[in-house]
Amino acid sequence: MTELRFLSPSQCAEGSTASPLRRALDGAPEQVRDLSLQGVLELRGDIARVEAGEGEELVRLSPRRGFLFTPGDPFEAVARVRAAGVLAYDSTGALAGLALEGEQLMRRLTDLELTKLPAAGPFARVSALVLRDEGERFRVYVPQELGHDVALAVLDALAGLELAP
Amino acid sequence: MRLGPQPRELIDRSQRVLFTFDGRAAGGYTGDTIGSALYASGQRVFSRSFKYHRPRGLLCCSGHCPNCLMTVDSVPNVRVCVEPIRAGAVVEPQNVWGSLDRDALAVTDKIGGPFTPVGFYYRTMIRPRFMWPLYEKVLRNLAGLGKVDERHHGHSRYDVEHRRARVLVVGGGQSGRAAALAAATRGPGVVLVDEGMRLRGAELEGVEVLAPARALGIWEGGLVPVDAGGVLYRFRAERIVVATGALEQPLVFPGNDLVGVMLPDGVRRLIRDFAIRPASRAVVLASDDDALEVADELREAGVAVPRVVDLRTAPLGRIEAKGRRGRVSAAVLDGRAVECDLVVASAGRQPSYSLLAQAGARVEYEPSRGIFVPAELPAGFEALGAVTGEGCATVHPLRSSGARNGDKSFVCVCEDVTTKDVDRAIAEGFDSIELSKRYTTVTMGPCQGKLCQLASIRLYARTTGVSEATVGTTTARPPWAPVELGLLAGPHHEPARRSSIHFRHEEAGATIQWAGPWKRPYAYGEHPEDEVRAVHESLGVIDVSTLGKILVEGPQAVELLERLYPNRFGDMKPGRIRYGVITSDGGRIMDDGTIARLADDLFYVTTTSTGADAVTAWFEWWNAVWGYDAEIVNVTGALAAVNLAGPRAREALSRLVDDPDDVAGDAFRYLDAKELDVAGVPCLALRIGFVGELGYELHFASPAGEHLWDRLVAEGAWPFGLEPQRVLRLEKAHIIVGQDTDSESNLLSAGMSWLPKLEKDDFVGKLAVEHVARREEVERLVGFTMEEDVVPAEGAQVVIEGRPGGRVTSARRSEAVGAVIGLAWLPPERCEDGTRFEIRVDRRTVGARVRHGAFYDASGARMRA
Repeated sequence: MTELRFLSPSQCAEGSTASPLRRALDGAPEQVRDLSLQGVLELRGDIARVEAGEGEELVRLSPRRGFLFTPGDPFEAVARVRAAGVLAYDSTGALAGLALEGEQLMRRLTDLELTKLPAAGPFARVSALVLRDEGERFRVYVPQELGHDVALAVLDALAGLELAP
Repeated sequence: MRLGPQPRELIDRSQRVLFTFDGRAAGGYTGDTIGSALYASGQRVFSRSFKYHRPRGLLCCSGHCPNCLMTVDSVPNVRVCVEPIRAGAVVEPQNVWGSLDRDALAVTDKIGGPFTPVGFYYRTMIRPRFMWPLYEKVLRNLAGLGKVDERHHGHSRYDVEHRRARVLVVGGGQSGRAAALAAATRGPGVVLVDEGMRLRGAELEGVEVLAPARALGIWEGGLVPVDAGGVLYRFRAERIVVATGALEQPLVFPGNDLVGVMLPDGVRRLIRDFAIRPASRAVVLASDDDALEVADELREAGVAVPRVVDLRTAPLGRIEAKGRRGRVSAAVLDGRAVECDLVVASAGRQPSYSLLAQAGARVEYEPSRGIFVPAELPAGFEALGAVTGEGCATVHPLRSSGARNGDKSFVCVCEDVTTKDVDRAIAEGFDSIELSKRYTTVTMGPCQGKLCQLASIRLYARTTGVSEATVGTTTARPPWAPVELGLLAGPHHEPARRSSIHFRHEEAGATIQWAGPWKRPYAYGEHPEDEVRAVHESLGVIDVSTLGKILVEGPQAVELLERLYPNRFGDMKPGRIRYGVITSDGGRIMDDGTIARLADDLFYVTTTSTGADAVTAWFEWWNAVWGYDAEIVNVTGALAAVNLAGPRAREALSRLVDDPDDVAGDAFRYLDAKELDVAGVPCLALRIGFVGELGYELHFASPAGEHLWDRLVAEGAWPFGLEPQRVLRLEKAHIIVGQDTDSESNLLSAGMSWLPKLEKDDFVGKLAVEHVARREEVERLVGFTMEEDVVPAEGAQVVIEGRPGGRVTSARRSEAVGAVIGLAWLPPERCEDGTRFEIRVDRRTVGARVRHGAFYDASGARMRA
């Protein structure tokens, strides 16, 4: 039985991985942080059987689909979740993640209702998963292949608000 | 001329602002609009009309009419009467040949009238047909609005902001402000939008004021876009209060468009807001008390007012404005001339109901007051103030009945539509207001019916003898206020998909091109044939991360794939790969790729670069229909992929894996799939050969893309792009779905009769494949070689005995084959190996011959090595 190691950036040799946003966010202001290499699992099956560990966050998209954000090794988390009878796939490499600050900035980039997050929807013309943390702090996850352009759109929106050069 | 300080004037006389108008210096004060500054400096002609090029001056001074459209800083159609003055602005007249005062095209007004009746271009400019492009060019230059300056890029940025509000109030008049303040006492989230300049910076407790800003319309779901200059706010509100007030309606009489004919509110704004004496001698034709008060204001401003007529009590049978050089010189009232340089004329006020109508409100006519009012508001909407009809009434705007001579009477100043035009349209059978609108274009100009809808309806009613209620209104459509297209377009973002290796290609100097939604390298130098040669003779590497990649997992994964694909997968052993083509219900080729069995219940499917999303959706749809216990996971973005190809591929790979024996010929055969760590990166390695040489497709976590690419290049792999790949795959006669096939192509005609397993119980498209097998073949995809060294265009016509007989789908010059090769659809009777046919190339026909099988390494020995 394959463990799908080839999906897991954490299984790559140290120093061999890089964020898809590192060029776009080089010198970015503090309102934007790169979360791209933080662990994410895509879950399929009876999500109710998944127990989030310490520091983990379970986001349900539907009763049978969801994401598990984990601060630990996602490859190990995949094994743990699969052992619980739920299919899990390491999606760390699939998503580019951004931590953003400011409601107005978010309103320039998405029409999602910011008081009703998490939600999936358009962000900078790209499908995204948007989560809200404390206060006006948000996390946005987009397909990594579109991440560079989304990051540029975020910086442009900041410039429009005169919050970035 | 400026008046002394006025109690509520908007200008700051201590701050002079200079700008350029029509190439010469102009100036005003902070708080002025460009229009008010120009008027104060004596400018009276602000534009030339759409069709007749008649001189036009300020009419409404509120941004509703088309009379002050100018080009400001290269942005056309700016209403300068509401455009704030700014230092250094470059203001130019538009739609003139010459100058505003001397426009050569004004000749159309003098002599063109009889030759340019309404709709003349529909009838006269359709023959000969080939002349239409010329006619169009001429018409576009003779008539119309400003021109977009294609050299001008982005004078400012455009942003879009998505907003939510508990209460959105549109209109900052008395009613709107009161509603906003009342709503604010019940909680936060109240926003007031007003188009005027007076509320700019206003503080209403608990209310967010956006001014000057315009609500552009009300869309489904209560979406209200608001133009606030450089930002488009897209509001969604729990409750929308419309307090847009009422609009003064012009009177329709001969000469009603002359420079110096103004609406009362326009005159009032010049005096109150900008401290300008608008004229020296004025006639006032009023239809309500507000308009009558303007006479007093004019007198206080030092303007002589020799005649004031209240049209409610002293109706005039005939009004005419006389002019010299397009400017008012006298008002003729029932035959009696009164000298003046200003005619202040209004038919009264019509509720500005369009936003409510867009929201779904019904609009009905009130004959007693001569106005249309909104009724039956949809849930979540409220109307307040004059928009409900409160304080509104109009007199009949038409004041030229029976006139056979005199100047033109304009119903619509935007589109230069006269009463005669509307009468003619009715006479020609356009007896519905909606039909007439499309024929005459009345209400379709920049004012969008604000100043002409009521007049045109009442003219229709009078001429056709039906009531205004029966005539009805035309459909209210957004945008209600003019808006820059740039603002609607928003920021210039066009998201492109880039592989995790993309920037390595840019750094290597690759030419990047769009490939579906992806940005991909075309080639790395000016000679793609060098890259082809490297793959044939040594080692090449191409980024194929764009391939669709799907995991299918579950106890019934194999059953699902067996029904999705025409070929078999149940007999595949884990670690093996099979080529697959997806067909539609109709048996047409949809997509292709490879399917690797990773475990009994786990398959790894690849698709074309543009097919991942569609194939995933197709799989999910059928899985839901059939109810199989299988999960479909699109891992396209999670994985990067490269194809390492060439005679040295095994040798190079063996140096990057832990155990070189893992990639030895017997240990890793053609069409094997294997998990390997390559340069420290866990990979799924697929031994396949799209480009016809010994090759390994390595699929691995995207974040390791650059690392692995760098290592492969360091091993001597020559990066190759899409163009060399196209040559290489064509040498093997491998098709590209979507290029060599189209929506009608099926497996049999595309030469893949070996693929469908008709003995299977069922698969998507099986019935259609069986049907195609029984019927006579129509065309077939075959390879060909050209007789000359010319490359036909993709899509070039195949000629058989002088008649069209097919089409070329792919063609390239192959150094390895020593000829120009390609794929083409031909009639079946012409598909025998060696059959000659011709292809159109550069207006001549060139011979070609059918070639069966691969052009290069026909036995496949190289890729199976």
